[in-house]
Amino acid sequence: MNAAAQAVTIVMVEDDEGHARLIEKNLKRAGVFNEVRHFLDGTSALDFLVGQGRPEHRPLLVLLDLNLPDMSGFDILAKLKADPQLKPAPVIVLTTTDDEREIRRCYELGCSVYITKPVNYETFAQAVRQLGLFLAVIQVPPTP
Amino acid sequence: MPFNKTRFGRLSLLLMAIGFAALLTTKVGMLWLVEETRSFATGVITTQEIRTAAGRVLSLVQDAETSQRGYLLTAEDAYLEPYRHAMTELPREIPALVASIIADGGSEVAARNLQRQVEAKLAELAETVALGQAGDREGALALVRTDRGRAEMDAIRQVVAGIEARSLARGRARSEGLVSNGRLLLLGSAGALLLMLAVTIGAGLLARRYTQALETAQAEVVTANASLEARVAERTAALAAANDEVQRFAYIVSHDLRAPLVNVMGFTTELEAAVEPLGALLAATEREAPALVTPEARAAVLEDIPEAVGFIRSSTARMDRLINAILRLSREGRRLLHPEPIDFQALLAGLVATQQHQLDEAGASVSLAPGLPRIHSDRLAVEQIFGNLIDNAVKYLDPARPGRIAIRGRTSGSHVVVEVEDNGRGIDPRDHGRIFELFRRSGRQDRPGEGIGLAHVRALARRLGGDVVCRSAPGHGSTFRVTLALTAPAQPQSAAEDIPA
Repeated sequence: MNAAAQAVTIVMVEDDEGHARLIEKNLKRAGVFNEVRHFLDGTSALDFLVGQGRPEHRPLLVLLDLNLPDMSGFDILAKLKADPQLKPAPVIVLTTTDDEREIRRCYELGCSVYITKPVNYETFAQAVRQLGLFLAVIQVPPTP
Repeated sequence: MPFNKTRFGRLSLLLMAIGFAALLTTKVGMLWLVEETRSFATGVITTQEIRTAAGRVLSLVQDAETSQRGYLLTAEDAYLEPYRHAMTELPREIPALVASIIADGGSEVAARNLQRQVEAKLAELAETVALGQAGDREGALALVRTDRGRAEMDAIRQVVAGIEARSLARGRARSEGLVSNGRLLLLGSAGALLLMLAVTIGAGLLARRYTQALETAQAEVVTANASLEARVAERTAALAAANDEVQRFAYIVSHDLRAPLVNVMGFTTELEAAVEPLGALLAATEREAPALVTPEARAAVLEDIPEAVGFIRSSTARMDRLINAILRLSREGRRLLHPEPIDFQALLAGLVATQQHQLDEAGASVSLAPGLPRIHSDRLAVEQIFGNLIDNAVKYLDPARPGRIAIRGRTSGSHVVVEVEDNGRGIDPRDHGRIFELFRRSGRQDRPGEGIGLAHVRALARRLGGDVVCRSAPGHGSTFRVTLALTAPAQPQSAAEDIPA
């Protein structure tokens, strides 16, 4: 695991605690030991990401679920991409929705990767492991 | 009061009959009057003739008398000329006059009386003339002096005057009758005219009222039509909204059901993974301290947990398939149709060709009857409908006999009706409606499937402005009859395309 990847904080916005736990478990199995900040709803996640008193200069990677209780993941994605400081941060949409229009919309809004949560757990675990690989190879730009 | 067509028809017919009867009566009266006038004219002429003839008779008799007197005075034969003339003329004139009087309705008695009187007078004249010619002038004068001739002459004058008077009276009566008849007819005609006027006005009023009633009814129909159209539009909109709602519901439900399923599957796998070290522990314990291993613990690790995990897995897998099916249907329902001209015959032939492999494997044959029309519809949807039906026909053939699948169709009004008939195992009549419901299947569950195909077929057929029904006898085969609009209906404005995630 390279140093850059180690330093990246993973912000996971996921209202389903089970899914969050499974993602964490599989990330660990894939050898990703980055810090994971888990938020159960969009409001608290946005508060952390773009709210008052957010920590400066830290590389972030956002794992985003689209179906949130208080807002749509699209809203969060749009806000992140509208923020000059967070704009370069990769956003990985990880959700149950596999509708083509929505996938297209996410990419249009600037998400880096769109991953569908498969019900089949093996596929799920595989997807998360690939995400780990992805994390290992991408260079997350340090936010200025 | 109901004022309908029948009533109007009857009333107008009645009025027309009344008018026509009045007209006919007037006409008949006219004809009668003309006839009367003619007979009056004839009567007038007859009266005139009678009077002339009577005058002539009188004049002849007087001439004869004058001639007799002259002869008796002068004894010259030349004076007898008028007498002889009267003697020849009168026998002709008298019967003619008598006949005229009788024909005119005059008194026959009077006529005969005249004849008798004239004959008597002529006899007297003849007698005196004969005496004179015999030279007995005194005898002849004596006969004249008896006043017999004068009395007879007076009687003749009286009778002639009577005949003339009666003839005149008859003429006057006729004339009066004619005048009164004419007046009566005039009154009658005026009455008929009034009646016809009344009938015409009545008919006019009736027609006006009927027209008004018609106009009112038409206006009502127009209003009803407009409100009907508005209602149809309203219902269509409501239906489209309800349909959108259902689609949205299906979509959301299937998505939201998926999320917990991810957990169930995930943690089941985690559980399975956790059983592995437990199994190893059990094996180690059995090896090193068998007394510690209870049969329950052994059964739990080796049998119960794997069995439970197996059931959870198969159930979740099935649930996942069902949810995916709902999702697929919902997506199909939201797909915009793209109607295009389709050669239906070629489309079905193409479908049969793509299924040829399965057909050969099943030892089945398909016959496709010609005569299908060109339609304007969504190609993909039509393909899915008939692909599913042919697929089903092949899938549920009866192994006891070679499969025969017949596809035939015809145009029926604004629709095309296509039947897919097989000689397969058939469907229990109780299930003919049920098989079109989602996740419902019929008969032996020995073929793979989730019970989605026919639900899909029905949803598509209805979207294309038609429907599908099933006719089947178990053990004999099934016929699926699909009705499709020749031109797929315009799609209602739908919000379904914008369903949020």
